[in-house]
Amino acid sequence: MSTKGTKIPDWLTVPFAGITPAPTQEKGQDLFPTGNWRAIRPVYRDKLPPCNNACGTNEKIQGYLDLVKRGKYLDAYALIKEDMPFPSVTGRVCYHPCEQACNRGKYDEAISIRAVERFLGDLGQALTNDVVQAGKPNGKKVAVVGSGPAGHSAAYQLARLGYKVTILEKSPKAGGLNRGGIPDWVLPQNVLDREVERLKQLGIEIRTNCEVGKDVSWDDLKKNYDACVLAVGLIDPNSIRAEGENKEGVLYGLPFLRDIGMGTSKVKLGARVAVIGGGNTAIDCAREALRQGAIEVTMITVEGNQEEMPAVPEDLHDMLEEGVELIHGRACVAVLGNGKVEALHLHPAKFSGAVNASPINIDREAKPEKFAVDNVIIAVGQHASLNWLPAEFKNERGTIKADKFGRLGDTNFFAAGDIVQLGSGQPLMVVNAVGDGKRVAFNLDKVLRGEALQPRTIPVDVIFDLNRMNMTYFPHFPRIQQTLLPPKTRKKTQDEVIQSFTEEQAVEEANRCFSCGTCNACDNCYLVCPEPCIARPERSNGLYKILVDYCKGCRVCIEECPTGCLEGVPELDFDTGVVRMDTAFAITPGLHGRQAEQLKHLDERAPKNI
Amino acid sequence: MPVAEAKKRMVRINGCVASAQAAKYADVDVIAAYPIRPYTATMMALAQMVANGELDAEYIVADSEHSQLSIAHGAASAGARVFTGSSGVGVQFAYELYSPISGSRMPVQMMIADRTLDPPGDFGSEHTDALSTRDMGWIMGWSCDAQEAFDNHLIAYRIGEDRRVLLPQMVCQDGFFVSHITGDVELPDGGQVREFLPPYKHPYPLDPRRPVSHGPQIMPEQGPPLQLERARAMEESMAVIEQAHEEFGKIFGRKYDPWLEEYKTDDAEVVFFLQGAHAVTARFAIQHMRERGIKVGMVRLRTIRPYPTERVQDSLSKFKVVGVIETNMALGSVSSGGALYAEAAAALYEADKRPLMMSFMAGMGGEAIVLKEFYWMTEKMIEAQKKGKIEKRTHWVGFEH
Amino acid sequence: MATIEVQRQVLPILENPNRGARFYNPELPQSEPFVPGHRTCAGCGPSIQYRMTSKAAGDNTILVGPTGCMYVANSSYLCTPYNIPWAHTQIGSAGSFTAGVSAAYEAMIRKGKWQGKFPNIICEAGDGSASDIGLASISGALYRNHDCLIICYDNEQYANTGIQASSRTPYGGMTTFSPPGPEVPEGKKLYPKDLARMMAAGHPHCYVATASVGYPIDLMNKVRKGLNHKGAAYLMVYTPCQKGFVYETPRSIDLGRVVVECGLYPMWEWNPEKREFDYSFRPASMRPVSEYLKLQGRFGHLHAEHVANMQKFANQQWKMMGIQIPEALLRAEDAKNVTNMAAAAEAEAVAETV
Repeated sequence: MSTKGTKIPDWLTVPFAGITPAPTQEKGQDLFPTGNWRAIRPVYRDKLPPCNNACGTNEKIQGYLDLVKRGKYLDAYALIKEDMPFPSVTGRVCYHPCEQACNRGKYDEAISIRAVERFLGDLGQALTNDVVQAGKPNGKKVAVVGSGPAGHSAAYQLARLGYKVTILEKSPKAGGLNRGGIPDWVLPQNVLDREVERLKQLGIEIRTNCEVGKDVSWDDLKKNYDACVLAVGLIDPNSIRAEGENKEGVLYGLPFLRDIGMGTSKVKLGARVAVIGGGNTAIDCAREALRQGAIEVTMITVEGNQEEMPAVPEDLHDMLEEGVELIHGRACVAVLGNGKVEALHLHPAKFSGAVNASPINIDREAKPEKFAVDNVIIAVGQHASLNWLPAEFKNERGTIKADKFGRLGDTNFFAAGDIVQLGSGQPLMVVNAVGDGKRVAFNLDKVLRGEALQPRTIPVDVIFDLNRMNMTYFPHFPRIQQTLLPPKTRKKTQDEVIQSFTEEQAVEEANRCFSCGTCNACDNCYLVCPEPCIARPERSNGLYKILVDYCKGCRVCIEECPTGCLEGVPELDFDTGVVRMDTAFAITPGLHGRQAEQLKHLDERAPKNI
Repeated sequence: MPVAEAKKRMVRINGCVASAQAAKYADVDVIAAYPIRPYTATMMALAQMVANGELDAEYIVADSEHSQLSIAHGAASAGARVFTGSSGVGVQFAYELYSPISGSRMPVQMMIADRTLDPPGDFGSEHTDALSTRDMGWIMGWSCDAQEAFDNHLIAYRIGEDRRVLLPQMVCQDGFFVSHITGDVELPDGGQVREFLPPYKHPYPLDPRRPVSHGPQIMPEQGPPLQLERARAMEESMAVIEQAHEEFGKIFGRKYDPWLEEYKTDDAEVVFFLQGAHAVTARFAIQHMRERGIKVGMVRLRTIRPYPTERVQDSLSKFKVVGVIETNMALGSVSSGGALYAEAAAALYEADKRPLMMSFMAGMGGEAIVLKEFYWMTEKMIEAQKKGKIEKRTHWVGFEH
Repeated sequence: MATIEVQRQVLPILENPNRGARFYNPELPQSEPFVPGHRTCAGCGPSIQYRMTSKAAGDNTILVGPTGCMYVANSSYLCTPYNIPWAHTQIGSAGSFTAGVSAAYEAMIRKGKWQGKFPNIICEAGDGSASDIGLASISGALYRNHDCLIICYDNEQYANTGIQASSRTPYGGMTTFSPPGPEVPEGKKLYPKDLARMMAAGHPHCYVATASVGYPIDLMNKVRKGLNHKGAAYLMVYTPCQKGFVYETPRSIDLGRVVVECGLYPMWEWNPEKREFDYSFRPASMRPVSEYLKLQGRFGHLHAEHVANMQKFANQQWKMMGIQIPEALLRAEDAKNVTNMAAAAEAEAVAETV
């Protein structure tokens, strides 16, 4: 008997016939960790999508588009509401820098982000109770002067932080520029009313017909409140300094729109209307003129062509569709007429420096062109009206002098919106004012809590390069267009021109989002890993985990990540978490003995549920 | 008629059909067939049983013997009782699988009806086909008639499937002499078989409920422990083999010595040492010679793997001369004859008293060993006994004077 | 005889990951029958395939692994990454061992010796096993129509033994048994065996399909279709081998797409009910073979004429699928319109200086 007296040492104990018990799914095959083969480790590192980056208030656009894709509209709405108090408004009026920045624009067509935002905003409007709650009261009072986009935003964020907020609005109705600067057929009043209502539901007090400098003084503000946000906007229209500008029939853009918006307009337009200016307000005025009964509307711009006009291209397109004529490269030097405007004298003109900025170079030597009109609407920007402000806080541009945090010196006064942004290079747009209001609110909070204000130092990795993503996964797909009322009929009514997305359209359009640089739980890394050593306790954005004990560093996951949120980091940058073995062939004595031990209990192991 | 209801009865069948009947009584689950003479008659019989509904089994016509054995391996690994078989070169076509099957400890059963290896193409029986696999870890033995063939199949399942053993079995019978000659066979009652042979249950089958991996790669140092375990299983099977034969005798009434059949050896001075069907003619020849006063006997090896070394030593050392009837070829081997000589001689090496030994190349090509050849061989043994030494180690019977 | 009826599993077909414009993989089973801790090379194509296949199949599955990389590298040293039953078998026993397991379950369930739904029985044979040594055994299993799925993970060579040519190695593919040299500049002179078509033609009652790791959900669905098909199914999966093909490991999936786009791995399904090929699979684009070849070191020695030969071969594949071949691909059949692989040009330059 050859086997008599033989004994297999413990460390060489082998299971019966080499039949090896299966590893558990939870632990993997722990006898043989392969992580030490790796030179490069895949790491999930979300980048900033260009849309989020471009947005004036840094809405988490990729985030809510992703939620819309998944049908989680309420979550998407809640996510927007972190940065944007009134998506129903910006979903209609925003000049959408996000869409200009959208990486998909380089691939086929940009995502119709604004339309999706509007879809979500309208969804929020329909809710009985908003998803946003006021913060736990901290006992501090803040006044916000002005209820335009910046004031609205600042008040909203402060209320969420727990402040007792009072808005002081000089007009009879809250809304500021949103109400007075945007026509009904772009933003119906009831939409804005509902958003103002939401502010009140947060416990914010809105005092209308309350003007700073008249009803409330600087000192009152200082005395009665712990802090104050000045978001008074630019109210007074700019003049074109033309001869005879004071004639009857000469109107100014913002007051023209505001009076109509407030329902206090007494204007009766003639058949021929000229609009001077090339921006969004000018466009709104031209289109509003049609709706106010004008037959021929002409827009006169210094800009040499359509591309130079500081306007939202779609709005320009829609305006032209409605039949407004354009005259470029002209400035009006005189308003002619006997008491009432009858014609304009136009001269060739161009910007002497940067486009869309004064000064303007007018060729006064040229023979003036006479342009017959019944009314002229001047829409070339606004300026501030700040006679109540202590002189030390005024700057040379005639606006409020605030530091980069929006703070006035070392006071508890802050300023936000157009009143500080004018001339800063930032387009004076609703979303930028909202962003400013938000940032100022957070800065104010920090100051009141005694924290130092520090500029952001961590560099942001914005993903602009399509090569950082894997475009194989994205078929070309056309942008979903919003429906518009037909130009012929719409130009005679106050009906909203652009129609909302249906749910299907919103989802289909959100589906076009690449989720640039951001995990969207597509499961591709999880699926293509050869080990597989990518775990996810549940399928959700950013919950994927590399099991570093096993990952061999093949980088298939990185290559195949559609959105580019995975990247390779040299293993030398890490010093923990990897099981190191002397050689690939070494095993620890006893491991197989342990395996044999497991085998003994194999029959007792609960059967898999099949 | 389903086996379970079968009542004990006598039938006249040949060895191949007896094997088929045994498989039926064992209620095998999977049968892997491939035609080659002469064993193929077993598969023909099983095919008919399945077609008739007498046996519920998957009857697979494989594409080769290699596939036959692989199918058997797979089916046994999944937990099924398996039956397969072959003859001659077919046994060798499947050669790759013998070690993997025994190494994975799967009690596959294989029926062999011996056939000479090519060339030339000869249907006759030589044991070389099965004997060539004798060191692959299979329990192996020969029967000498249809009844013993039937019995050996049941006994082999019982041994191989025993948890202490778990090894495949090769149940051999001579082509033609057993496989195609009819004899009286007692078919048992189904209840007897159920009592003797419990259902097959491998401890670690391929079962999704208790997942295991069969046959993974190993490190060089993990090889020896596995080999040692297999060697141990083979050695420890000896006790199981004895126990199985004893129980078989109790239940079925036919008692076999698991290792050796001794025929008229009590006062024999010279004996034949052989295995398989030639024992039948040898018994007749011995009787004939005994009647003429020649003290000759026979020792028949019933189980060659595991080899009953002690038993062979004890038995053969009693005689003066042992003549090994090979019926197999081991070209260039120690006796320059067959394979049986070397192992018997080795078994005797440590005996106090060693007989003289010679090897007879008889029954080759499937020829019967006739009476005068037994006489001739006995003369050679007596001659050596008289001279007290072996002058020629191996004799080609029929080719010498 | 009273027998128990065998209940079989029906696995749902997964949704396409491209939903409109969105790329989002369908919900995958949580179960992980193939766990990490195995010694396949980083980026191993067959391993990716193994993972997808086992996940598609689920827990009530038995795997059979004939000798090959997926045996040697996966089950090393008494480690096993399989959370479901797995058995090694001999390289030539792919079909037969699998048939045995399948037959055993048929019998055991029918006879009441095992209770439960018939398990998925999957054989994972390499192309050496499937196209060479185990061909007969696989053909046998398909012919006999055992309820099983036989997968050939086709890495176009014997990789485990150190990259030797198999009958699936493409024309021009360098292996240690088909090295290029001055007398044999293309390395491998023979064109690969069209194994999948052979299986479909010879066993028309079986579900037969080709797939690639470049299209994971398609692959998983074909696995499920094969498993749902009552009877035998055969699946041929392109699984690149970074060691033998000589490419950067992150490319494993990408190669699986490019090979299809270049016409070198036609994707189709054989419909056993209708007895016809389904050629409806369309890659995103059709590209010249050079785009596939240039990604791999094993083709680095090819001259323009060899590349043109490959293009001819690819065009024949497109033609067999009834797909119109763009003009550019037809032009690439002429060596005059093709350039040497970069490395081949270098080799020639070196040869001239010697």
